[in-house]
Amino acid sequence: MNTPVMMERIAEASPRPRARITGVVYLLFFLTVISAEFFVKGLVVDGDAAATANNILAHESLFRVGFAINLIATALYIAVTALFYDLFKPVNRSLSLLAAFFSLVGCAIQAFSYVFYLAPFVLLGGSQYLSVFKVEQLQALALMLLKLRSQAEQIDLVFFGFYDLLIGCLILRSTFLPRILGGLMALAGLAWLIFLLPPLANYLSYYILPLGFLAELLLMLWLLVKGVNVQRWKEQARAVGEWRSQRAMHT
Amino acid sequence: MSAAVMMERIAEASPRFKARMAGGFYFFSLLTAAFTEIFVRGRLNFAGGYIAISGMVIVTLLVYDIFKPVNRGLSLLAAFFSFVGLSFEALRLQPQGLNMAMVFTGFYCLLIGYLIFRSTFLPRILGVLMAFAGLGWLTYLSNPLVNYLSPYNLACGLLGEASGFLWLLVMGVNAQRWKEQASAARE
Repeated sequence: MNTPVMMERIAEASPRPRARITGVVYLLFFLTVISAEFFVKGLVVDGDAAATANNILAHESLFRVGFAINLIATALYIAVTALFYDLFKPVNRSLSLLAAFFSLVGCAIQAFSYVFYLAPFVLLGGSQYLSVFKVEQLQALALMLLKLRSQAEQIDLVFFGFYDLLIGCLILRSTFLPRILGGLMALAGLAWLIFLLPPLANYLSYYILPLGFLAELLLMLWLLVKGVNVQRWKEQARAVGEWRSQRAMHT
Repeated sequence: MSAAVMMERIAEASPRFKARMAGGFYFFSLLTAAFTEIFVRGRLNFAGGYIAISGMVIVTLLVYDIFKPVNRGLSLLAAFFSFVGLSFEALRLQPQGLNMAMVFTGFYCLLIGYLIFRSTFLPRILGVLMAFAGLGWLTYLSNPLVNYLSPYNLACGLLGEASGFLWLLVMGVNAQRWKEQASAARE
């Protein structure tokens, strides 16, 4: 395919429906991730292993629904990542790719952390080989593994911090989205990076969490309601296309 | 530009954009409320609650504007119910342990469901879903009933409402039909 035809193609593929699809998937992610918390709310009693174990066994189906919805949420975020990569490719292809990598690693760790969600069922399932432990010991182990899950979550938050920071920079460098959204995302990314020092992050989490939530919520709503500035997106995509074809000629 | 022209412009503002804004503010409020409920304690919890309520006030105004062409009186009544519900919510009033905010939201959803059903610019199934959501919220009239039906009444209410507003957000309204109904109402 020769260059003019290719550039034509790039210019034709309208980003508006794509921005809206990104927004819809993003919204579904928000809805699933928050409803998952509602299902398991109150089941884990801090510091009371026996009560937690009883709750989990009594409400096994709720717990399993929460687990499934969490996994779906992670799958949706992977889709959001792919869509964002496409959206920001015209701004800077390498940065957009790097951001996607960070997000994918975050998602992988998050998906793995759900293993700690299932661990209590193995421990409290009453298998024969576990009878060497006392009931209290098994209950304590179950609670410990549930606590490890939130520790694992703090690791993926760091990767999502890098991701948000890069997405924020990409929005700032882009011409088709308002800068304030980029600034907020970059700030939220920096805030998530505080989780490199978990004690400090736990101390500040009262402010980090709402900031991160607000930044992503506003970006999501903007994509849904306003979408991107189509003309500017195309201009930026065309500029990148020209630069690429020039470089190809020189080498 | 004279004031009259400007007023005209505002009134003519694309109904599709209004619908999209209503959907956007609805999910903003819903997610903010749920987020604060789960993750935030203390002073910021109050702030989150009030931010969510102000979002719902904007939703109510936009929805009133969207359904004015269908039936102005009913649309006004619906907005009134919504405001009463939001006032209960803002003041955290629960007379005799009843969650009156939910009950008024129920009346609101029922009326909006009827208005969607009678409108020409939205699919009728959404009206039915919205009315079901209203019935789900109306169960909050009796606490034993709520305890008996929970969490199905909650799911019914949330799914019905969210599907209606998701349609407004993603698909908007059929702008041409909306304008036809609006000009018919004016005559």
